[in-house]
Amino acid sequence: MDDIKNLVKIANQVQQELLKLRNCRYLELLNQMRSASDKLQEIITESKKLALSLSHSWFSAADSCCSSIDRLTSDITYYISRVKQFAEKPREETPTLSALVEDLKQLEQEYGKIEFDKATKTISLITKPITLDDVYLGPFKIQLELKKLSELYRDSPYYCIALDPHPAATNEEVTHPHVSNDRLCEGEGCAAIRTALEQGRLCDFFTLVKSILNTYSPDSPYVSLYDWDGEPCYDCGYIMDRDNSYYCSSCEHSFCEECSTYCRSCEETLCRGCAGKCEICEEPLCSNCAHKCAECGICCCESCLEDDLCPNCIKELEAENEESGNQTTGTNENSNPSQSETSTPEIKLAG
Amino acid sequence: MRILYINNDGCGYADYIDVAENTTVEQFFMIKMSGKDAGDYMIRVNRQPVPKDYVLREGDRITITPTKVEGAKSL
Repeated sequence: MDDIKNLVKIANQVQQELLKLRNCRYLELLNQMRSASDKLQEIITESKKLALSLSHSWFSAADSCCSSIDRLTSDITYYISRVKQFAEKPREETPTLSALVEDLKQLEQEYGKIEFDKATKTISLITKPITLDDVYLGPFKIQLELKKLSELYRDSPYYCIALDPHPAATNEEVTHPHVSNDRLCEGEGCAAIRTALEQGRLCDFFTLVKSILNTYSPDSPYVSLYDWDGEPCYDCGYIMDRDNSYYCSSCEHSFCEECSTYCRSCEETLCRGCAGKCEICEEPLCSNCAHKCAECGICCCESCLEDDLCPNCIKELEAENEESGNQTTGTNENSNPSQSETSTPEIKLAG
Repeated sequence: MRILYINNDGCGYADYIDVAENTTVEQFFMIKMSGKDAGDYMIRVNRQPVPKDYVLREGDRITITPTKVEGAKSL
């Protein structure tokens, strides 16, 4: 794009869009004022409803009005701040054609060849391959859509497209810690980027976007670089981020939620392979909390055991005791009839 | 003397300001970006890179753009 005529053509397109943007600012101000006015009308209606509710002692209805008024005041505050933002903004002078051409020249000087697609009216710049904290993310194409420049107050007019994508293992849409679905979340650079675009300073715009792409903010990424490659579940191979992985203290591997469990007695995390099971209540158990029934030797949790015996053995023992008790009673009756004979008269005597 | 100062740090703005005669780029940066490291910024005068001892002149256009800007994620 070394032809000066081409630069003038692009500059002309940019200038046309910036003229539209200037008008859009007034339209946006009008829209925000209408929204604020609508919300004010709604709050007046709510105040009438509140007065009616109070006159009838309908306190439940009054509470409902209060909730609506609370929501509306938040909305009004938002719209008023937007109105103020647009109203106090000084009118931007549309840059001259020569200034825009100079800017495009600077852009080429700084970053080499820029692409201009006449059909889609896009200006693009390709960054060098980006590596952040030893994580290779590849080169990005910063693509500014001139047609969308006039919609700057509603939508972002550019995209950051990964040309050799190395997305986060847990989310293919995230090609950079601050890029999702080809959209850059500008963070600290938001206001400066908007101002640069409003003033037609394209070189500054591309430099700022490039600066964000070359910087990692660990406090607020879509996916942190620490989790970029994810971690495969040792059992099923599912790629998970570290916040959602579970470490089995028994086999010392990481597992996904599906493949892990925990001991119901001590709450130790375990994989499903290492977790034992209480054969009575069937709840998972770790080896430390698994007890054996002293009688039959089955594995049980502590709460299912009573005097080191499982409920089955207790039942059996009770049944045996009952049986032996009956037998003893029967034997006694048979073996010592004299006692019953002696007792009967006593009862008789008592009666 | 009067120069055009474009600061792309923070909110970003462009305005004509008065500076003392014989102010170098380094002095200008220290005044305007006190406490900041010049290495973290791309400084251009009239769209060109200049040495730090470049003396600003009437009508110059100086741009200071951060090369480290922290992005975020959508809320």
